[in-house]
Amino acid sequence: MTKLIGKPLLGDWLVIIASIITIIFLFKTLWSNEAASQLKIRQGDTVIGSYDLNQTRELHIHGPLGDSHISIEQGKVRFKQSPCHNQYCVHQGWLSRAGQVAICLPNQVSLQLIGEKKPYDSLNY
Amino acid sequence: MRYVLLLLSALLLLSCSPKEPLYNTQTYVFGTLVDISIYGETDAHAQSAANAIINHYNKLHQRLHAWQPSEISKINDAFSVGKSSSIKADVAQMIQQMTTLSTQSHGAFNPAIGHLINTWGFQSDAFLAKHVNAAKIQQLVAKNPQMIDIVIENNNIRSNNPAVKLDLGGYAKGYALDLGLQTLREHHVQHALINIGGNIVALGQHGDRPWRVGIQHPRQPNAIASIALPSGWAIGTSGDYQRFFDLDGKRYCHLINPSTGYPAQHTQSVTVMIPPQQNAGVLSDVASKPIFLAPKNKRLAAAKSMNIERFLIIGSEGKLQISQQMQAYIDWTNPKQSVEVVAID
Amino acid sequence: MTRSIINIKTTKQDHHIAKLTAIAIGLHVVEAMFPSPLPGVKPGIANIITLYVLMQYGFATAAWVSLLRVFASSLLLGHFLSPTFVLSLSGALASLGILYMMQHIPKRYFSVITLSILAAFAHIAGQISVVWLWLIPSAGVAYLIPVFAAAALFFGFFNGLVAKHLLRK
Repeated sequence: MTKLIGKPLLGDWLVIIASIITIIFLFKTLWSNEAASQLKIRQGDTVIGSYDLNQTRELHIHGPLGDSHISIEQGKVRFKQSPCHNQYCVHQGWLSRAGQVAICLPNQVSLQLIGEKKPYDSLNY
Repeated sequence: MRYVLLLLSALLLLSCSPKEPLYNTQTYVFGTLVDISIYGETDAHAQSAANAIINHYNKLHQRLHAWQPSEISKINDAFSVGKSSSIKADVAQMIQQMTTLSTQSHGAFNPAIGHLINTWGFQSDAFLAKHVNAAKIQQLVAKNPQMIDIVIENNNIRSNNPAVKLDLGGYAKGYALDLGLQTLREHHVQHALINIGGNIVALGQHGDRPWRVGIQHPRQPNAIASIALPSGWAIGTSGDYQRFFDLDGKRYCHLINPSTGYPAQHTQSVTVMIPPQQNAGVLSDVASKPIFLAPKNKRLAAAKSMNIERFLIIGSEGKLQISQQMQAYIDWTNPKQSVEVVAID
Repeated sequence: MTRSIINIKTTKQDHHIAKLTAIAIGLHVVEAMFPSPLPGVKPGIANIITLYVLMQYGFATAAWVSLLRVFASSLLLGHFLSPTFVLSLSGALASLGILYMMQHIPKRYFSVITLSILAAFAHIAGQISVVWLWLIPSAGVAYLIPVFAAAALFFGFFNGLVAKHLLRK
């Protein structure tokens, strides 16, 4: 146990540094308040697809309980209807910010919002 | 130790998210902002391509400048005294192209009205609100400067009408877009977006999605809509909010009707989308102007004469008119945007 | 009045562990009495005991102390089988999981501080998973993850320092 006496060891510092990097990464990814531009929908372990958020569109994703009804409306998305019992996914309402996620566990459908700095690449003026 | 190293490397990998291969540079040429985005190239390669484009632009700007000593000002000086002037082949080509487009627009697009534009004070980087001399405007209109007055023979140019004064303000940016596209191809760049003062041309796409372009709201500080601009397409807007002054409750914009000599006041903006073609950039700059200037009931005819199928018109009261063909591309910022969709045959 | 006495042979070490468990329970209860500025962010000082026991008596003993502490504290606080208890248990189990994996970490380079930090991370990871999957399946939790993680590093480090100091004696 003598080895344990004293200041943090080299490995401890490495762990601390790695932790700080991870935390910074978490802040950067999860605290971006930017508007999302893309939506990734997964069912089970497969990615159903990526969708542009800047459109109006209704999607039906088939899961083990039935169809999850997802609606995209110009920069936001929500579970409109779900065959699940608890309806958590529907109650979560609209998602619009990058990094937001809504998951319907019973029907194994998840929505993930992906952001970019701008809703468009360049402005025509 | 093995686990720890694994954990550490996993954490480090996690913290270094891959950078998107997007190169972006902005610079000011033609008295406006030039914004170049290049996707999928190394920064060094993208930078060399962008620099090549910007060098071309700086040269072009110097050569075509309307109110500083340039090849164009030299030609204009010769015109005013009825003399002939030498001309370089590429400028001769530009003038021929402008003449064709001017004829096609029934004179609504008229780069020969430099004197009118100068009288209104728009031939200046910092223009002021001013009352114009109505008699002088009338006089300038009566002199009827036209592109067809210009004669090009054996690398020489002259004008049959001394009132002709070239101003490439409504053409040069579009020409520069086409030139930029060509430069990108020479540099084997496959994905890029060039924006010159609002006129945009797309090449390839932004990663796995098309380039996305916002369309400025003419009265609000945000985009009224956005569109996915496919490869090779160009988009351009003529707006009364770009260069203008307000005087006595009226707005005087830089878009002057050659037949009246006065700025159009019944339109806020006209946006046109141009499918891939040789001079898509030029058309994106030029083709919106005749529609902008045309009276309300002649806008569709003006679009037709310019072979424009995709357009968005915002009238002076903010009323929106969009062609069916353009509606297919557009995503409104406000999904409840009220808009009249016009069928084009 | 007859007294029935069950005689179990106990060692000095058993007494010591029992004492440590009692201290852990005490710390846990004391900490629970102070309101937290942010739900879920707590120093977790009882983990110092877990770490101490782990280093002194090995993983199995540490697991006992940790789990006994969770059960006993929740009974004392009246949280047994409530969401608070489930969160506490899931955090403790996740921590023990990582401590189990890390118990043979080379002590030349890594001290109890590393163990404390990793355990703290595992603790919040376990808790967040439960919150996410069971209690509030909402993306809103995602926004709190960086805060939880920062708190875990901070308190994990200090708990580790304290544990290290105790181990010196």
